[in-house]
Amino acid sequence: MDVKTFQGGAHIPHYKSYTEDKPITRLSPPKEVIVPLLQHMGSPCEPLVKAGDKVEIGQKIGDSEEMFSAPVHASISGTVKEVGKRTVPTGGEEDCIVIEADDGPQEFEMKQIRDPENIDLEEYRKCVREGGLTGMGGAALPTHVQVKYNEKVDTLLLNGAECEPFLTCDHRLMMEKADELIKGAKLMMNSIGAKRTLIGIEVNKPDAIEAINELVKDRDDMEVVSLAVKYPQGFKSHLIKAATGRDVPRGARSAELGCIVRNVGTTIASYEACIYGKPLIERVITVSGPKVTKPGNYVVRIGSPVGHILEECGVEDLENHKVVIGGPMTGLAQPHLDVPVVKSSTGVIVLPPDMTREWMEYGDCVRCDKCVEHCPMMLYPNQISIYAEAKMYDAAEEWDLMDCIECGICSYVCPAARPIVHWVQRAKPEIQKRQRSRK
Amino acid sequence: MSDTQKLVISPSPHLKGKETVSSAMRDVFVALIPVAAVAIYFYHAYAAFLIGVCLVTAVLTELLFKKLQKKKPAIHDWSALLTGLFVALLFTATTPWWKAAIATFIAVGIAKELMGGLGWNRFNPALFGRVAMILLAPLFAYVDDWFAPLAVNMGAVDVVTQATPLAMLNAGLEMPPLGQLFLAFPGGALSEVSPLALLIGAAYLFYRKHITWHVPVSMLVAIAILTLIAGQNPLYHLFTGGIMIGAFFMATDWVTSPFTDRGKLIFGACIGVLVVIFRLGLSPTEGVAFAILIMNAFVPYIDKAMKRPSFSEPKKQPQAS
Repeated sequence: MDVKTFQGGAHIPHYKSYTEDKPITRLSPPKEVIVPLLQHMGSPCEPLVKAGDKVEIGQKIGDSEEMFSAPVHASISGTVKEVGKRTVPTGGEEDCIVIEADDGPQEFEMKQIRDPENIDLEEYRKCVREGGLTGMGGAALPTHVQVKYNEKVDTLLLNGAECEPFLTCDHRLMMEKADELIKGAKLMMNSIGAKRTLIGIEVNKPDAIEAINELVKDRDDMEVVSLAVKYPQGFKSHLIKAATGRDVPRGARSAELGCIVRNVGTTIASYEACIYGKPLIERVITVSGPKVTKPGNYVVRIGSPVGHILEECGVEDLENHKVVIGGPMTGLAQPHLDVPVVKSSTGVIVLPPDMTREWMEYGDCVRCDKCVEHCPMMLYPNQISIYAEAKMYDAAEEWDLMDCIECGICSYVCPAARPIVHWVQRAKPEIQKRQRSRK
Repeated sequence: MSDTQKLVISPSPHLKGKETVSSAMRDVFVALIPVAAVAIYFYHAYAAFLIGVCLVTAVLTELLFKKLQKKKPAIHDWSALLTGLFVALLFTATTPWWKAAIATFIAVGIAKELMGGLGWNRFNPALFGRVAMILLAPLFAYVDDWFAPLAVNMGAVDVVTQATPLAMLNAGLEMPPLGQLFLAFPGGALSEVSPLALLIGAAYLFYRKHITWHVPVSMLVAIAILTLIAGQNPLYHLFTGGIMIGAFFMATDWVTSPFTDRGKLIFGACIGVLVVIFRLGLSPTEGVAFAILIMNAFVPYIDKAMKRPSFSEPKKQPQAS
């Protein structure tokens, strides 16, 4: 088998056995959901409802006039309890709409309202915009922004790499909803005028590769690309490089490289938004960790508090644990359990103290070059970390700090346990400021 | 679930690989056990005593300097012990113990701790300590007498008085068979006895991925080519003196060698060139130590010049339009 990959990167224990064999099941809806008005990259929505209003499942409750935005919808039927600041998984507080469930219908009714053969670009874009579609793999760019005809785009690249440890939701989706995935890809491909679809999957998911191969083997415009099991294979730039061989220079948007990259979850959700008019009100997440009694891949409502999800999965004692929304390499540790999962949340991972980095204090860089060896961006995290720690931002910039994708490999392999990503994140806005003032 | 449970919040990534500085340093220490064992086999109590003195001095020195600098001691990171062992291995078995102790003190205290501690030292501490003793030798002519009563007599060891292979090589004497030189041939510093033992240790370091091929290969190849050009048998050079421990253990030191791949090649090759110049042109001994220390000074410049392009660096393409 021809297995593709990129230079650098690392094999990280992937801990997927907790959930990779668990079929997707639905979690019962929570009594209360917290729907942030900003769940994507871009401008926040304005609330369309106020406290006391009745809302129905799937009803649009926030929208914006801005181009870079995506509306949000009620993920349960009930009464708006409050519109106010709540902690969101990306850190900090944002305006959220809090809905209390009532005894109205709590499941969205799936009725076919469009024929997949008769959807043009304009209609497709309208559907994904109205459905509030955003990237569901992490980056959370509003999907409709990417949907436009661009003759240079010849390739639709579906991201099924799922390189983060623990996460298996995309894996299960590819197996269980392969049909919708391919239909969704076809819809997307037709509407943007792409000539082929590549589906990139790491080879540790042979059953998913098989399921999709079964569907595309007779098509000459779709192909599964087997990817080596290596973190961060699923990062956009590295997926493009591995699957198409194209270089990804800084600042270049993927469309300029002739590619549109789409997460598998987003592709399926886009299809459902077009054909059934179902907005993005729920998604599949992986709930996992060694202490989770019922780990699995669950369909959860957007806005479900983490506490509700963990309770349903039989997690009790969380003292000194880390609760991470997203994958353990790039996700964020949450301060409490009232944080909601949002459109881009891929998982809720519970890490016991002995698994996290907290068991050791960080030290000075000993220049072992492990980070240099593994950096997928070909950077020098050792130098960057020394300069960024000392706030020597000009020197850090010289060593290409701004190219860092914050994948976390450097900190993972660092024998001195240096929080390199943390310093990079702190340095980026400072360097941006300097870059702007130079212009 | 109660709301009072304390959750841990810290930046990503949340997973951490198993390797630590301590585990890596301990691996290097383990890699030196074969050569230390060979030294003890040939020099008995002399070698064991010298190693012991250096280890103890190293630990005491680190404790002292950490205390003076009000830092937390880090004996558990094995770094001081490792430097101590290295220093011991750089001396001959009959070296007065106070000289080895002073070298260790300079290595750990000055070359490492005063430079900012592990990671900040630009020069290989053990070599720095060793070379400091060479440079201070004239001074010792005056003070040797003070220390004389401290000498420990451990009986005679035959092999100690034998000429070192390196000296024999330079004097143009008939050399022992290469096989014997490679296996073990006493003479010179403790680490110079057995290239084989050093290679076993080096193989372990490769296996544990603590060193890469770049520095040793470029250094040894440079030495081989140059000595060949000079009309000598390169193997005699490679198997004598400090070249083996220099190539695999000293020039590959994390902190004091380049972190760029191309930089490592240049670094190793330059050391090789310097070693040959020293051996053939200048003083026959300690050429390796001086060569490595000199190149240590250039490491930051080599790294900066040899930086690889970022993944995002636009590739230069011939302009089509």
